[in-house]
Amino acid sequence: MDFGSDLPQDPRPERTAVTPLDHGSLRCLFLDLFGRPPLAAERTAWIGRPRSELVASALCAREFWGNWLDEQLFYFLLIDNFRPTTESVLALPAQLAEGLIGAVEALHRICLSSSFDRRNPGPDTFVTVVMEQLLGLEVQRIARELEIGKKVYDGARGTFLGRSGSSQADVVHIAIEDRRAPRHLLKREYERWLRRVPSEQDLSAWVAALEQDPLAMRSILQGWFLSGAYAARLELRIPQPNRLFIRALFVDLLGRIPDDGEAERLRSALDGLANSGPLRALVARLILDSGKAPLPERASIPEPSVWIRELFERLLGRSPDAGELATFCEAFADPACRPATVMYAIVSHPEYQTW
Amino acid sequence: MTVMDRRKFLQAGAWSASTIGLAPLVVPARSALQRNRTQRLIVVAMAGGVRTRETFGTPANVPNLMRIAHQGVVYPRARATNLGHFGATLSIFTGISEPRGIRDNVRGPDPTLFEYLRKDLGLAADDVWVSTSGGVQEANVSYSLHPDYGARYGANTLDGDGIFNAEFKHMLDTYGRPREMEADELALLQRMRASIGSPADGSREDADASATVERFLLDELRRGTQDLKGLGAADAKAFRVARNLLAVFRPRFLAIVVRDADQAHGSFNNYVQVLRRNDEMLGELWEAVQRDRELADSTALFVLPEFGRDADLNSRRGLDHGDGSADLNYVSLVCAGPDFRRGEIVQEDVRTIDVCSTACDLLGVDPRFARGKRLPRLMA
Repeated sequence: MDFGSDLPQDPRPERTAVTPLDHGSLRCLFLDLFGRPPLAAERTAWIGRPRSELVASALCAREFWGNWLDEQLFYFLLIDNFRPTTESVLALPAQLAEGLIGAVEALHRICLSSSFDRRNPGPDTFVTVVMEQLLGLEVQRIARELEIGKKVYDGARGTFLGRSGSSQADVVHIAIEDRRAPRHLLKREYERWLRRVPSEQDLSAWVAALEQDPLAMRSILQGWFLSGAYAARLELRIPQPNRLFIRALFVDLLGRIPDDGEAERLRSALDGLANSGPLRALVARLILDSGKAPLPERASIPEPSVWIRELFERLLGRSPDAGELATFCEAFADPACRPATVMYAIVSHPEYQTW
Repeated sequence: MTVMDRRKFLQAGAWSASTIGLAPLVVPARSALQRNRTQRLIVVAMAGGVRTRETFGTPANVPNLMRIAHQGVVYPRARATNLGHFGATLSIFTGISEPRGIRDNVRGPDPTLFEYLRKDLGLAADDVWVSTSGGVQEANVSYSLHPDYGARYGANTLDGDGIFNAEFKHMLDTYGRPREMEADELALLQRMRASIGSPADGSREDADASATVERFLLDELRRGTQDLKGLGAADAKAFRVARNLLAVFRPRFLAIVVRDADQAHGSFNNYVQVLRRNDEMLGELWEAVQRDRELADSTALFVLPEFGRDADLNSRRGLDHGDGSADLNYVSLVCAGPDFRRGEIVQEDVRTIDVCSTACDLLGVDPRFARGKRLPRLMA
């Protein structure tokens, strides 16, 4: 992803934080916070309320931290057969939500898991990944440090990144305690959520805050989501990754969140294509034609224009313009057009697959 | 099991036709007019790290590769760089060796072979394919972030293990097959889709291409690719899908990127089993090409690992990749095709990144940013 430097500079937190949530901002915020759009009841509950309330609620929620954990596991490519199943990792969302553990410590546990070890077998791969993924280092530029790390991994005593160690676990401990670990975490998370590169000044301030209080991630995130920079991000739509698309499709068409197995299998299948468009369309058609999606009967739609407007608001986060509404109403007036056809036209369109 | 010390092997001049069982063949002279019969290319990247010791050093592991080598040119000293599996694989297709993070899940900045071919030859998306077993990272090889190239010139990339797995098929079966749309309904659908957002979105051409791929995926699920199981199944699916892609789309360029050999980290024996299974699948693919007269007369094949593996076993009796040895840094490249010499072994040092420039040259395309060279003594 290219985070252009031509984006507006980070304005101060401003009044958009208390601006009532509309269909577009509510959908985007839910996708960012929970990795899915709102369910019908949530839409009703949150529409018109300030962003600050939803953010405050999310940061204490297990679902938010579960989604955060999923993103971290995906970052480390601990997916499919490499997804950690140990209690220490599975317990993270609850512990993060309750404020019992900080984000950096969560990464520490992930990197100590057997899944991380299996995913990164051997000293060369393991130490390289720790240096690259945890610290953001370009290993080729510091090959000597890599060689020391490999020896430490193998049990020899050595000074890796300025600290003494003599085991595979020490490689992780040392990296986690390095100041570059929180810095790299904050930088990549800011870029993921805000879609822009943070200023050095801001980054240093956040690192200092996290060093002072390992649980400060929550207040840092609150600041990000309530900032003007986030308001600017809401105007910037990019294609959804496959994992987000699947969860959105299930919520939008089936009215439920997919279970982990469903989501993982479909994500894995979609990730198998550089252009997953055809398979996304196929999955949407399968669901719509399966009889499992709660679609209204044609006869039960007395005002097609109202129904179509609601679909646009719910699925695209915006109202249709006059041309779109006219085309859809005209098409729907034809007996060959089913409610499923209308839904399919929207969810198979590239705009639906952005956020 | 025959284990050969590669350095001794090379010092002894063992890379001769007789040693690896390649009897010298008389190559009939061909006129210049007959050159460049090659219209299609297949590149097989054994991208899980494979040493020459377990291929040409142990011919019993790879009888099909040996057979193909008989029909073509072998470069036993192809210099590779340990850039991580993804980085080293990408460099084969960009012709540029640049470090990438091992778990980098982003596209590279340099145009790929696929982009050069599609842009310069005006090829459609269905003409250029990548069949892979590498998972989520490997989809990134399909195109670069280069401003002059990028997604619009990318390859169709398909990870057989991701799509054609039994669980996914079961899931699709749960939802049933999609209903065939009547022409009237399809026209209404297209009208509605075209009205959303900018007029440039969802062109008819894109829709047609998507529909073709969608049909292929559904058909492939019926062919039973998902039933391939066991050690090396992901790679086997990549080969099987590639074979079917050849039959259905007859692409101008097809890359197969397989990764299962990396099981070597934990088990040397599993690694060898994967190599053997891949060799069977490679044989099946090559047979399919040879049985089809049009393909046989117009298709060239390149087979190479992205890099090798360490010289010595690790403490788990596996093989890592990071010791900087010749086993890691030199791999064997095999090229066979209608325009190539036959039964030739070229001892000169070449580089894995030379594949990009050579492939482009064969098809008449300029790989502007690639840094490799054309492979020497390849053409008949």
